[in-house]
Order: sequence, then C-alpha cells, then structure tokens
Amino acid sequence: MTELTSIPQKLGIRAQFEARSGAQWLDVAGVGIRSLAETMNAIGARFVTITAYELGNGEGFRLEYHWDLNGTLLGFAYEVQKNIDSIFDLCPAVDWIEREIYEGYAIEFVGRPYEPLLLREGVTPGVNLREQPPQEVAK
Amino acid sequence: MSYKIPMGPYHPGLEEPYKLDMICEGETVKDAQLHIGFNFRNIEHLAETRNFIQVNALMERVCGICSFIHTLTLCQAMEPLAGVEAPPRAKYIRVIMAELERLHSHVLWAGIAAKLMGFKTMFMTCFELREQVMDILAAISGNRVNYSMNRVGGVNRDIDDPAAILKMVEALEKAMVKTVIPIFTKSSTALSRCTGVGVLTHEKAIRSAVVGPIARASGMPQDIRKAAPYAAYAELDFDVPVQPAGDVKARLLVRALEIMESCKLIRQALEKLPPGEIDTGDDRKIRFMTGTSTSRVEAPRGEVIYSVSFKENQKNPARVHVRTPTFVNMPAVRWMVQGARLADTPLIQASIDPCYSCTDR
Repeated sequence: MTELTSIPQKLGIRAQFEARSGAQWLDVAGVGIRSLAETMNAIGARFVTITAYELGNGEGFRLEYHWDLNGTLLGFAYEVQKNIDSIFDLCPAVDWIEREIYEGYAIEFVGRPYEPLLLREGVTPGVNLREQPPQEVAK
Repeated sequence: MSYKIPMGPYHPGLEEPYKLDMICEGETVKDAQLHIGFNFRNIEHLAETRNFIQVNALMERVCGICSFIHTLTLCQAMEPLAGVEAPPRAKYIRVIMAELERLHSHVLWAGIAAKLMGFKTMFMTCFELREQVMDILAAISGNRVNYSMNRVGGVNRDIDDPAAILKMVEALEKAMVKTVIPIFTKSSTALSRCTGVGVLTHEKAIRSAVVGPIARASGMPQDIRKAAPYAAYAELDFDVPVQPAGDVKARLLVRALEIMESCKLIRQALEKLPPGEIDTGDDRKIRFMTGTSTSRVEAPRGEVIYSVSFKENQKNPARVHVRTPTFVNMPAVRWMVQGARLADTPLIQASIDPCYSCTDR
C-alpha cells in the first residue's frame, strides 16, 4: 500500500501533504498535471473529480483535482488562465468532467477533441458559470 | 453491414431522458455513444445566487431518489466552514435516514429491473415493499421525497419513537428475506436474463473509476462508509458486499446483499441512538469563514462529492460543485453494451441504476 509520505518523493518535490477541509492537500508547484496523473496511475489512486473556481478580477481559475487513495481524498490545485493539458489519454475517467468544465468556464483542455456534453451544438462555452459570460450566447 | 440504433432521449426503457446511439451488426452491439444534458438545470450556478439555507432546499432537488444524501453531503461540507459539528444523536439520525434511502432506492431499482426482465409481478411486489420504506421515511420526516431533514449543524426532526420505527424495519426485513432476495438470487427467470450480460471487467472498472454497486460488482471493495466513515458509521458494524463477475447478475446480487446490510445498520443505529440535542442551535446565527471544503458520502448509487466555497461572512456560497455517482458510472455503459445483444441493452443501462437528474444537474 502506498504511503502518503512517499508521494512527494515520487513527484520530486519537498512539500508534504496537509490535512485541510476534508482532503489531504499537496502543493504541486512545478509539477505538470500530466506528471501528476501518471504518478496517480502508478500508485493505483482512483480519479474522483475536478472542481473549477473562478478567481475573479480577471485572475483566471483554480482547478482542484481529486484522487482517492485507499479512502483518503487527495487534493491538488492548479491555477490556470485559459487552458491546461488534458489527462484524458492517461485517465479516461476525466472525460466528462473535462468537457463539463470547458462548457461551464471555457477552460480549454489541450490535447483532446471537444464533444458537447451538457450543452447543445452551437452554444458558446462559458455561458453557464463564468462571472462575465462571453458576449456570444446561444444561437 | 453496421447500422445505428438510437435509444432515447425518450424511450419506454428509460426512466429519464438521455440518448444511447448504438452501432450494431445484426443483433450485436459493436459500440455506443452516450448523450446527456436533456435535464440540465445549471443548479451549480443557481446555488451561487441563494443563501446556505436556500441552497439546502435547492440541492435536495438535484435528485428525487437520493434527496437526503445530497443535503447530507452538502451540510457535511458546509459545517467545517461554519465551525459547527452535528451532535451525536443527529449523526445517528443521518445514518438511519441515509440507509432508509438506500433501501427504497435499491428496491425501486429492483422493481424497474424486474419490469425490464419482463417480470411484472416482481415489479409490483417491489413497489409494494418500497411503499413500506416510504411510510417509514414519512413517519420520521413527514415527507416522502424531499425530507428537509438536514441542516447545517444537525437535523430538523428527531426520532421520537425508535421502537415503532424498529418494528416497521423488522417487518420490511422479513418481507425482503422472504420475497425479494430469493427471487433475485435464485429464480431462473431473473438469473437467465442477467448472467454474463453487460460485463464490466475489473480492469475496465478501474480505468473508468466507477463507484458504488457498479464498482463492487466488478470486484472493487470500495465504500466510503468504510474507507472514510462519516456521520456515525465508524461506530456501526456492517459488511461491504463484493462480487467479482462484473455482469448484471453481480450488480443484482450486490444490491440485494446491501439491502440486508442496510437493515442491519438501521437496527443498530436505532438501538444505539444516543440521547441529546439534534442540532447546534439557531442556524440564522451561523457565520462562514473564507475557504473551500469537501465532503463525500456513499449514496445508493455510489460516492457523491460536494466541494463548497464561502467567503468570510457571506451567506451565499461562492461555489458549489457536485459530482454524482451516475456522472462517473454512466460512461462505463459504453463498455458494458459492447458485444451485447440489442435486446439486452435496456436492462444493461438500467443495471447501473442511472439518474440523469443527478448527472445533468
């Protein structure tokens, strides 16, 4: 069974997990999301979800990625402006949530095709959850 | 020659609208594409426009079957940000309500599965039994669907007469043991429609990150009640049924065994129900601190996760994100129907006990 303390070492960082608000959080500054996903696959963690938060004042977004490791919820946060690498090819379970976040916030997941999930064809992504929706709305 | 058969968005085999486009060769399904969004209400956005008491009422309406579970998960996520914790009695009441909800959800599913197998008598039997569960839920909460039981810091209604509820649960358990469990685990009518049908292999289940009875029916022993206990589950004894086959029969068996475990949990919780308060006081005095919080609960269909964000002294959440079990289980239907007979696909998709109201939100 993978110990929590061994994960930072596998990722090549010094930070340690910190228990906060229902999850164990690790500061993964400098670790790309694809490296993180590969490590999670290697230790047998189960992908749970991604939660997107808009930071306001044009500061972009925070994406919180969650995996489950033997009942412990792991949390990793990434701040993004417009896009982030997709991990769909490494972790097929992210398919729907990446598509949903694209539709809700217009954050692009680079390296994968987009297919409509909750929206219908022709609706501009970002209209649902962004504070200032794109000018173009449903046609 | 291959051809495409659409099932849905409106179809007698579907309880709610969604669409499954199946690529078939003869009577065999070669591949499938899923389309959702027909129930999309943008509830996550609506949540940002309401205060925490209204959000509780809103989130109860994400799903008509596991409405209690949604408010439980939401309240458990909000409580650390409000600096409150539900009293022990409230935690036990939460377990009792959650397990009653699991019972009525599993029995409802059993009825629908029976109907799709062409076993209409069993459908009626299951729904008659489900009514008994609904009667208990109504006796506790006053409601049959949206119970309004949870609040930040506890529950809204007490269980005044645990002995009366226990009597109802025992009668229900007897009926389950006598009728539902034997028919679903031994009858040739049920088993012939389910054995080897709609297989999700252990490897595919891991890759798809499925949850709940779907994961447990593919040999994954995961259950948030055991792995990360919440409410009063750590103080109660129960087993997590696991089946390795990954077919519809395995999903049937897992749910049938879970019905028994739920009865066991309700009985224990009623017997151990501690005295004391059921809430932490006037929730109008609650003040939230800045931060985000996450909570997970094992719903009847699997793990539900809520992530909630508040800003200091604001009554409206800045963000509420809900990830429901069907949202992760549904994509696996594609793997389940590959190689299946077209006639089996209504039962296969129903075997994950899908909820599109939850999925679309």
